[in-house]
Amino acid sequence: MPAEPEILTPPPEPPQRHRWPQVMGLVVVAVGLVCGGSAAVLARLGRPLVTTPFNATASVGTTEAESGNLRKRAVRAEKELDKLHPKGVYIVVDAYRNRLHLVENGKVIRSAVCSTGTGIVLRDPRNGKQWIFDTPLGERVVERKVKHPVWAKPDWAFVEEGLLPPTDPNERFDDASLGDYALYIGDGFIIHGTLFKSLLGRRVTHGCIRLGDEDLEFLYRHAPIGTRVYLY
Amino acid sequence: MRRSALACISISLAALCARAGDVPPDASRVAALELEARLAKKPFVYLVLDPQRRVLEVKARGAVLDTVQLKGIEVISQQPLLTRRAPNRPPIPAVWTLSVGPGDTDREVIAPTELRPAPKEGEEEVEPTPAAAPSGPMPTPTQVHVPPPSYRSRLANGWDLWITDRLPPQSALGTFTAAVRDGWQRLRGLGEDHPPAVTLAMADEDARRVHHLMRTGTAILVASEL
Repeated sequence: MPAEPEILTPPPEPPQRHRWPQVMGLVVVAVGLVCGGSAAVLARLGRPLVTTPFNATASVGTTEAESGNLRKRAVRAEKELDKLHPKGVYIVVDAYRNRLHLVENGKVIRSAVCSTGTGIVLRDPRNGKQWIFDTPLGERVVERKVKHPVWAKPDWAFVEEGLLPPTDPNERFDDASLGDYALYIGDGFIIHGTLFKSLLGRRVTHGCIRLGDEDLEFLYRHAPIGTRVYLY
Repeated sequence: MRRSALACISISLAALCARAGDVPPDASRVAALELEARLAKKPFVYLVLDPQRRVLEVKARGAVLDTVQLKGIEVISQQPLLTRRAPNRPPIPAVWTLSVGPGDTDREVIAPTELRPAPKEGEEEVEPTPAAAPSGPMPTPTQVHVPPPSYRSRLANGWDLWITDRLPPQSALGTFTAAVRDGWQRLRGLGEDHPPAVTLAMADEDARRVHHLMRTGTAILVASEL
């Protein structure tokens, strides 16, 4: 009896090994190397901002410290500074915060909201002339004080409105805009009143300092001619 | 005799003690005082930077008008990566002067295109002919100019004065990223070289507040413990 042929079952195929994780890994490594290398090259090329602490040590030689006249020099400089220091009644104007302070012997006796210059530049289309509407910085003096002031409008007041400045000087006078009092501080700059009270506290002027009615009257009464004005 | 000898010794000891306590003033302080006295003679506002107290004072005639508290004072310079060679800072005490400041340059300019005759008193102003409607997008209304919280000014000594509310990142990663970014800009030919800057870090409001003081000619006295 012939033997029954043995049925051969094919051996189980080995589990198929996917290559894609290896390929992906290689790609990632390659990209990483390229990116890292490029970054390193770029970083080497670049000049980033580096901070180092500011050395606050003064660099005046010590030999000078031994000289006997140091004390005299110090006293002289301190005396000079003391002589220059504002005294009595003076006015301080903060052009950023739009505040005016009247100071007497180092004490603020009145603080007021004011308006100061916009900082805008106006250009005359006819000749390119420019006006900068800045409130001046530094020290000035109240040169004169006027009750019921009249404003002689300068050219820029017309140019700003798109108007030609008039040839007749009588067309320049305006008795309403400056309020009841004006304190002239030189070069055409004035501390005066305003018709636009709602704009107090903002930088809206052409360089003058505008005050509300009550503050202006107080200033007019308490700041005599010659009062120093410090604007910053 | 013994008493007088004791008295002599005690007097000379007292004199010695007095001389020992008689310390001459610091030379740098005297130099700073003299510089300030010279500045205060002029009717201008000047600034005093005290790196030790970390304050910037606005002064005129020796009087403090305003004080700004600083968050930090640093020297900032552009350097290749992994280099920490701080440039030699200008000597102090000294007066630094601004040669170009943003207080001069950051300005809005208005210019009417043409001027028409002013109307006479009692005369009705003729209504100008309305211009043709613009075909492009409508212009946005003019905003009130707000100074930036970070800006550079050029000093006459070749340095910059950088006022900022935020110092550049100084972590290793931050510096590396900045180096890569700058390297990329340089590769494209857009890289910029700035002179080293003394950087004053302050609150953004304070940075805006002193912006208008940074004008050409503004003097800054740099002195410690004035």
